[in-house]
Amino acid sequence: MQQTGGPDPRRPEKIHRYKPIPVGTPGSPSDDATPDYLNVLGMIFSMCGLMMRLKWCGWVALYCSCISFAHSRVNDDTKQILSSFMLSVSAVIMSYLQNPQPMTPPWST
Amino acid sequence: EDAEDNDVEDSDFADFEEFDSEESRERRVPSAEKHHSKQGPASDSKGKENINDEVQEEEGDEASVEEEDELEYSDFHDEEEFEGFEGGAPTGKSTPHLTIAKVPASAIGSRWDSYILEIMMVTGLVIYLTNFMMGRAKNARLAQAWFQSHKSLLEENFVLVGDDGKREVGTSGGEENPTYPLVKESEHIYTLWCSGRQCCEGMLVLLKFLKRQDLVWCISQLVRKQSDRLEIQFNLGQDDMDSFVWCIAQKKTAVRLVKEMYDLGTYCPERRLGEKFGLSSSFILMSEIPEALTSIVDSKVTATLNKLAHMVDYIHVSDQYSGPKNQGDGSSQTPSTEVKKVLICGFIVPGEGQAHDLTVIDSMKPLLQLSFYLLDKLKRFRLSKEGKQKAEKNRAKVYEAQMRQTHAARAEAAAQRREEKRRQEKDRMLQEEDPEKQRRWEEKELRRQIKKKQPKIKQLKVKSL
Repeated sequence: MQQTGGPDPRRPEKIHRYKPIPVGTPGSPSDDATPDYLNVLGMIFSMCGLMMRLKWCGWVALYCSCISFAHSRVNDDTKQILSSFMLSVSAVIMSYLQNPQPMTPPWST
Repeated sequence: EDAEDNDVEDSDFADFEEFDSEESRERRVPSAEKHHSKQGPASDSKGKENINDEVQEEEGDEASVEEEDELEYSDFHDEEEFEGFEGGAPTGKSTPHLTIAKVPASAIGSRWDSYILEIMMVTGLVIYLTNFMMGRAKNARLAQAWFQSHKSLLEENFVLVGDDGKREVGTSGGEENPTYPLVKESEHIYTLWCSGRQCCEGMLVLLKFLKRQDLVWCISQLVRKQSDRLEIQFNLGQDDMDSFVWCIAQKKTAVRLVKEMYDLGTYCPERRLGEKFGLSSSFILMSEIPEALTSIVDSKVTATLNKLAHMVDYIHVSDQYSGPKNQGDGSSQTPSTEVKKVLICGFIVPGEGQAHDLTVIDSMKPLLQLSFYLLDKLKRFRLSKEGKQKAEKNRAKVYEAQMRQTHAARAEAAAQRREEKRRQEKDRMLQEEDPEKQRRWEEKELRRQIKKKQPKIKQLKVKSL
């Protein structure tokens, strides 16, 4: 399938500029919903960590924020990622300030 | 009088003096003798002598008590009573030896090594972030390697190679966009837009790499093998292609595409085996107008497809392309949906995400050349008259079905609007003060209801001959 040295296929007059595909159209690369799901999950876990003082909830929220950051798209606004990180970090810190005892693994109780 | 006052003062304080002397004695003498000192009130000098006598008596009593203890204790020292008891009388002087039991560290809770789970969590985070950095770098390297190996071919075919839609054409980029001319959509998706070629308006290359930056996904990759993917989408102009729809795909992809893509599901739902057309058995063919497929997929294309079968996922040609159905509400296409003419080629990077040296990437060059070859053939191919008619008929049928579907929706919307208007009118009438107006409105409403209930009779006017 070598390109036979035929006439030059380039046409400068037929240039069309790139129009980014609107976010959310089905089938577009930014259609992956993983970061949004993980963001919501992270928020829920950090709320549980803060209100019910469950340390493992804070840690799981921190992991959810990291995974959501790893899947984030470039044109996502960074505020969303930043707020989920701050919330999960505060959940972990608050749960340790209120009760500095270490987490006990479920198999040891 | 003064004398009396003095006497009174002296006597008043007399009681306290006694109280003072008792206190001082208590501090000096052990509590055991307290009951003796309380018995007789004594003046200061006399009191001291009595106290000394009392103390001596007390010590004498104590001595006698000790002697009694020893005697009594000797009775206990009976061989028969205490067998195997060698120890003599307890001396009472030796200080008790206290052994502090070893308390497990976790019970104390303040030391670092009791925070085992926390340390594991933090280590997990560090490992995740390290893998994130490495995965992101590898994807960026792969994207650059692909571009470098295909750069010459792209520049031979396009005037504009790489555009993010913002920068002026022809200016060299690179300051803000480190991966220029590739545009990074996310850590594992890169796009490249090229334009300025005959037979098409533009070409969008989509590099869909594996999510190497996500550790959780890397672990799932061990279970379910996946490969990097490359998607090339050509947007064609109105005169760059005739009106037909066909698709060649691997078996699994074919099933998914028919379900997802509106145009494939509508125009060419039947699937045929590739062997009938000389293609390898792993391919499935779907075509609206057979002549369009047979004339474009000639022997040259068939040979290339069979040779690169492990790298070709699907080739989709359509003049009614509107993207996948939006799964949310499942609503199908409406006449207003914008359709465009496209040639989409989906390719698989060999090696299942592992071996990615330059030879593997260079082996993908024929895929791009195949796409350009198909593009040129699409431009040159024109349907025969029958094919053209069949295509027109199909499109008209689909258009009518869509109109019927939207007609029902439009009628429903109109009915709702009428209902809304009537309800507002009724509310206005209820608030109306003038009874005359209300009565007239009710009559009108009544007449309308009666007319609605009447059976519809067609009145024919017959002219007199």
